[in-house]
Amino acid sequence: MKKYKPKKTLIVTLLALPIVFCSCVNLKTVGDFSSASTESVKNFERIDYSFVKHCLDRCTDEAIRNYEINRTQDCSCALYQEADSVTQVIYNSIEGYFEGLNNLSNNELTNYRSDAVVSALSADELGPLKIEERTVNAFSSLSNTLLRASTDFYRRKKITSYIEQANEPIQVLLEKFRVIIGTNLKGELRFKRERLYNLYVDIKMNGTLISEYEKVKAAADYYQALEAIQRKEIELEVLSKSLDEIAKGHQVLYDNRKKLSVKDLTGFLLSYSNNVNELISEFNKLND
Amino acid sequence: MANLTSDQANQLSDNFYNLAIALADFRVANWDRLTPEQRKDLSDTQYAVIKCGEDILAYSTTLVMDEVADSLGKINTITKDIKGTIKTLKDIQKGLNVAAGILVLGVAILNRDTMGIGNSIKDVFTTWKAPVD
Repeated sequence: MKKYKPKKTLIVTLLALPIVFCSCVNLKTVGDFSSASTESVKNFERIDYSFVKHCLDRCTDEAIRNYEINRTQDCSCALYQEADSVTQVIYNSIEGYFEGLNNLSNNELTNYRSDAVVSALSADELGPLKIEERTVNAFSSLSNTLLRASTDFYRRKKITSYIEQANEPIQVLLEKFRVIIGTNLKGELRFKRERLYNLYVDIKMNGTLISEYEKVKAAADYYQALEAIQRKEIELEVLSKSLDEIAKGHQVLYDNRKKLSVKDLTGFLLSYSNNVNELISEFNKLND
Repeated sequence: MANLTSDQANQLSDNFYNLAIALADFRVANWDRLTPEQRKDLSDTQYAVIKCGEDILAYSTTLVMDEVADSLGKINTITKDIKGTIKTLKDIQKGLNVAAGILVLGVAILNRDTMGIGNSIKDVFTTWKAPVD
């Protein structure tokens, strides 16, 4: 029976593997950043507020103010629907990009399973040719590592190219999305706050409340409604800040795109990833 | 006349907000000097100003679409490319599985194992046709 023994070249290659593995660190850094960015951007879906919701709330507020009781609410919100559509399109593009970047930099993507090859090599059907088990395992380990190294090199090259091409448009989209969330949608709430203030000031100034209980109850209702609006404003503000941090982090990735194989990138990007994670945590607390 | 930008629209909305606050403060400060009709007129005007400010913000958001059209196109193309690259990397796993199947097929051919050849061809075909995880 023939036996296959490993050659010196195989041993030398196996010894060189740690050098190959060192390069994985920064794919992880890019992965961590894009994962935090994806999670943060997705918080948009958890905000229970939109332009259309604002429009419908406004119709309700107006009906309450005018003491209108109708069977159905007649509310025209076409402009607000369009605003929501634009927001959704921008959100989808940003989320899609970071999710793609996260998937591409995820090491699980290139954790290839060689079980099938190992089984085939050690199968009895191989007939008179028998390969030692440890040789089969060494072959499997080596082929996986070399495959991983080459695919990781390929991934790094691709990621560098994507970051380079994407930086300018993603900065524009993140900035506009930040303005929509932090200025426009949050700005709508500012008007809602003012409408609420006027409603309660009118009640107070008109002297329609007689008993002490009614007065206290009205003030309590006002502050409860105000708190709900302010809470929503904080949520939008936190999301807006996250988008800013994501934009800065992507800029760092772009500025250091030629050094993606250098460990220093971890240091460069860590503070932005941490900031985004802290804002995710802050957002989660607001939603608890 | 040049088109309104989303930034300009936001500035306009700010002006409407400040005007609404000024009207409310004026109404409250002069409450006793105003007749009920004047109060109502002022209140209606103020609500109309608020409504205008809100509509301008929504309108400003729709204006963003024209400003980001180019960036949206670029990012969507890049995202599509990224997905293509991910698929290529996943196809490598498929290639490994097929290679293993072909190895068994080769051995079956060498051993002149008719049954083995049939099964191996079937296995290779199934592996190749299987979707990428």
